[in-house]
Amino acid sequence: MNRAVPMIRLTVNGAARPVAADPARRLSDVLREDLGLTGTKVGCDAGDCGACTVLIDGAPVCACLTPAAQAEGCEIRTVEGLSQTAEGGAALGALQRAFLRHGAAQCGICTPGMLMAATALLKEVATPTEDQARAALGGVLCRCTGYGRIIAAVCDAGRDMVGPAPSAGAAVGAALERLDGLPKVDGTEAFGADLWPAGALVVRAVRAPHPAARFVFGDLIDWAGPRQVRVFTAADIAGENRFGVIPPFADQPALAEGEARLRGEAIAIVVGEAEVMATLDLDDFPVIWEPLDPVTDPEAAAGARAVLAARPDNVLTRGRVVQGDAAVGLAGAAHVAEATARTSFVEHAYIEPEAGLAWLEGDVLAIRACTQAPVMDRDDVARVLGLAPGKVRIIPSAVGGGFGSKLDVSLQPLIGLAALKTGRPCRMVYSRTESMQSTTKRHPARMRARIGADASGRICGMDFEGTFDTGAYASWGPTVANRVPVHASGPYRTPNYRAETVAMHTNNPVAGAFRGFGVPQAAVVQEAAYDDLAQALGMDRLAFRRLNALAEGERSVCGQEMRGVGIGACLDALTPRWEAALAEVAEFNAAGGTVKRGIGVASCWYGCGNTALPNPSTVRAGITRDGRLVLHQGATDIGQGSNTVIPQIFADALGVAVAEIALVGPDTFLTPDCGKTSASRQTVVTGNAALRAGWALRAQILARTNRGDDARITLAPGKLLVADRTGTAEIALADLAAGAQGYVLMAEESYDPPTEPLDENGQGVPYAVYGYGAHLAEVAVDMMLGTVKVGRITAAHDLGRVVNPLLALGQIEGGIAQGLGMALMEEYVPGRTENLHDYLIPTTGDMPRIDPILIEVPDPKGPLGAKGLGEHVLIPTAPAILSAIRHASGARVTHLPALPHRVLRAIREAGR
Amino acid sequence: MKSFDYLRPETLADAIAAGGAPGAAYLAGGTNLVDLMKTGAAVPDRIVDITRLPGLDRWEWLDDGGLRIGALVRNSDLAHDVDVAQTFPAMAEALLSGASGQLRNAATVGGNLMQATRCPFFADPTSSCNRREAGSGCAAQGLSARAFAVLGASEACIATHPSDFCVALAALGAMVEVAGPDGTRAVALTDFHRLPGAAPQTTTVLKPGELVTAITLPAAAAGFRRHARYLKLRDRTSFAFALVSAAAMLRIEDGIIAEARLAFGGVAAKPWRALDAEAALKGARPDADAFATAAARALEGAAATAGNGFKIPLAARIGARALTLAAAGTPAEMPVLPGSVHLGEPAHA
Repeated sequence: MNRAVPMIRLTVNGAARPVAADPARRLSDVLREDLGLTGTKVGCDAGDCGACTVLIDGAPVCACLTPAAQAEGCEIRTVEGLSQTAEGGAALGALQRAFLRHGAAQCGICTPGMLMAATALLKEVATPTEDQARAALGGVLCRCTGYGRIIAAVCDAGRDMVGPAPSAGAAVGAALERLDGLPKVDGTEAFGADLWPAGALVVRAVRAPHPAARFVFGDLIDWAGPRQVRVFTAADIAGENRFGVIPPFADQPALAEGEARLRGEAIAIVVGEAEVMATLDLDDFPVIWEPLDPVTDPEAAAGARAVLAARPDNVLTRGRVVQGDAAVGLAGAAHVAEATARTSFVEHAYIEPEAGLAWLEGDVLAIRACTQAPVMDRDDVARVLGLAPGKVRIIPSAVGGGFGSKLDVSLQPLIGLAALKTGRPCRMVYSRTESMQSTTKRHPARMRARIGADASGRICGMDFEGTFDTGAYASWGPTVANRVPVHASGPYRTPNYRAETVAMHTNNPVAGAFRGFGVPQAAVVQEAAYDDLAQALGMDRLAFRRLNALAEGERSVCGQEMRGVGIGACLDALTPRWEAALAEVAEFNAAGGTVKRGIGVASCWYGCGNTALPNPSTVRAGITRDGRLVLHQGATDIGQGSNTVIPQIFADALGVAVAEIALVGPDTFLTPDCGKTSASRQTVVTGNAALRAGWALRAQILARTNRGDDARITLAPGKLLVADRTGTAEIALADLAAGAQGYVLMAEESYDPPTEPLDENGQGVPYAVYGYGAHLAEVAVDMMLGTVKVGRITAAHDLGRVVNPLLALGQIEGGIAQGLGMALMEEYVPGRTENLHDYLIPTTGDMPRIDPILIEVPDPKGPLGAKGLGEHVLIPTAPAILSAIRHASGARVTHLPALPHRVLRAIREAGR
Repeated sequence: MKSFDYLRPETLADAIAAGGAPGAAYLAGGTNLVDLMKTGAAVPDRIVDITRLPGLDRWEWLDDGGLRIGALVRNSDLAHDVDVAQTFPAMAEALLSGASGQLRNAATVGGNLMQATRCPFFADPTSSCNRREAGSGCAAQGLSARAFAVLGASEACIATHPSDFCVALAALGAMVEVAGPDGTRAVALTDFHRLPGAAPQTTTVLKPGELVTAITLPAAAAGFRRHARYLKLRDRTSFAFALVSAAAMLRIEDGIIAEARLAFGGVAAKPWRALDAEAALKGARPDADAFATAAARALEGAAATAGNGFKIPLAARIGARALTLAAAGTPAEMPVLPGSVHLGEPAHA
């Protein structure tokens, strides 16, 4: 970028680090690329997310906005410096240990920024208040935690304690620190952008500036030659240039062919040496665009130009569940409520943009990138690049947040293509704008529900219709269209039910999987109608829901006999706070003033795993000749905690302490397939496989030693000791022959949740296991300004069996943060919100007090009774907040997010 | 990113000489320019880094009680100084309501004046924008969008100015000291930014090579210290630009408003001082009716484009609310969430 390259004398973590660099280069870039200090993360490159926070002369600043030359002569401190002892050794500081103890790091991508901002605070105030911590961390965005665990860790950093270390058999239920937590707090965690060999080529994409346009390339060779780069297009793709998470629907080209169907779609990649690529200007890339009239309205898409020739009516798919006769049920109702709702595109906004590295291992293409679904990535990359699946190796990097969007491939085929074509390691990091433009979003929905209740308040019929904007390509659109009709009743007894959905193609962003697969949208309209019915009946809103809550053994709208039903227990758990809050609200509002308070309630249920489709997990465990216990845990941990929860389940099944286990993570060459991290399935499905693997290995050991079921297994160097009341037996491991996997004792077990196909009316057994929850939201609405402040959320969740309460709390608080964002502020508009200052996600100051309540109604099919949690947690948040807004103000907000202009309009329409 | 020269002059004269060249841009804290260079909205040929210029990184109290703030003073340093915050509390509150701690630690007060609009079409080089590229059109016109200007907009541009600090400065009657090839001059803050008219690409009255060197607050501005607030409505609680904001200041003598100041943010391409509203308040009793009437008067000339009509009454309400809060008295301590409208609610219930 700059013509002269002078020496900049930086001082980093107390050491002189002179570096030859352009003075205007970003400090974050120099730290990472030139000094190898990749603990400093780049989430947005615009000062919006704070992940790159470093201390310059003690003050936290964004390294991504700091020209390197301006830091010359200053003391720069990065996360790597936090683990330095005065003697020059390495040891975690008290703050880092507090982060582990409190579960403050989930995915870990924001953790370095949080730690640095907190370090500056703790230098000024040794024991800060929560308000002080919140203010100090307000400039660092976290998408996983909801900030509560982080605030707690910062306030508790002075109290250095040791976390629990459960003994054999006591792991499940223990608030164990994350087993993979250490690298997240010491800056060594290697996310997609953090690992590359010297000399790796850099890949950048050329993207469409229009939502719909035909294009032709100019002379690419003429352009590339003098610039010392290479350009690859769809013409260079050897395989079938279409990928998709659901193979029958696969329709998305890795590089567009002649027509781009969404803004930001990649049409070519440019590959070159890092120093060339750093200053390469893509503005004059030779392409001629012919913009087309874009299809933008999903409800008008049926008669519009076909986005994809293969689907001329722009219908991707339809979903349907029918039980009984909804019309008859509604006709016989004493009260019928009709609700409509419209939701927006919601961006996942994980703080780690897509990033990865591809290289060749002989004739194998290896890709290390952030992902939620390594085996699906392998299959998509193989298809696109024309390779056998066995010739593609996917090694997930640490994942800096996923929430559904990293289930689809993004850059994997692009860097794979570059590596195949150049023979060199190739790396790529999406910019924040590229990430937001080109990857999937939550489906915008336009929904209508009519729900009827009899005079006693019992639901007697429901009719639901929803149109989902699925964007230009299929992605997970079919899953959303199918999952919504199954769940749109909510966890309520609903005879006479019809729910129909359609997913429409447009030239909007691709809508895919996002925590809840459409269910959070559907809950908005269902719960709004429930409030209407309660009002019409003169019933308390919570009591009305309790009356209609599904009970043990009752049938769902799919006709499934439900077991382990915890919704009643969740609603009951909210009752004490509900009653107290109602009284507090009445007293507050009676005092007058422009601020009104209100409370609201909403429920969730959610089936864990694929909808009536196989989704097995396989877990392998082995003991080596030298006595090491190895667990191949293939469930990708994107921050949710499978690297901890799965070993906890396995450890108890085998009967050893968690500390004895060495983990081998997902790698399609080393670890059996545990499927994708989605659909809240890993604890249930991989957990069941781990449970069975633990049991099987234990059975082998007991059989070999002829010990009873209650025997204690102890690992020792080169041997196993197995003791029961009859005495201690020993297995000399060195005497055993190692199998093909290198283990002298090994078990490998699979689990596929038992489901039954759905018929044409959606009747069947879509899921083996469901989880339940309910939220109570307390809000204040400014009647003059239309602003909403959420003060408190009480969140009751039925986990069946709590495997790890610390991680469960993190899931609940983080899910609530995303639900709050969806309710109040998040609205992605292509071309207008393609960064994290125009697209807003909640900050520390937006989060309410959260009171979690963990309920355990065991599921007969869950591992040790456990149910999934990850997606459930955000489903009730938005409807509960909307219910509370209405209670406070009369405003019925039907278009999310509830921004001030919409709240004001709804207040006006309510006649307040 | 396009390549550019990088210079770091040690004297003001050298800086002005370097900054006068076509295509040159001054760089201070970098919180805005560095980002615009990344998106391609700013493509300078030459960066003149002024952070080494001597003497601009401090403030001094003037003999008459006024305050002269060097252009390179960091936002956080100024806002956290006890004397400054007590004398000009609405200014400190405005500063602390802006951006994040990290950005305030880097951003300078001079740079704050020079912030570009946050209109998304300005930042996106693939969109037409008369402000970024004269005569290219305005992609924002006709769109249903809520953030655009309701005062002083033109056919050519409906963008708003993003600063909080400048709103308080406008109300305080600040003067901007400018140095350039032709010497130094002082410009009233309210004259510093230009309304778009037919030439939105020219956003300030600075001439080529001119540089903001200081901001001066007159001694009289200290007279509002007991009744001064900044109120900012935004889509999230912190770290967001204003949808609408207002700085309100009163001098109350014997229960009567002796002097009032009111300025708005988020409504125009410049901080919008409401002189008519101020005049209407002079001599009035500080009550809700007077504040509502005055604030409504400030918005009398407002005009909506598609989707932002709600901002007109909302701005009036924010103005009235800010005046009400100011009348109640400057808080003894800076609020936990500076500028927040959620005053009736604790940060954490």
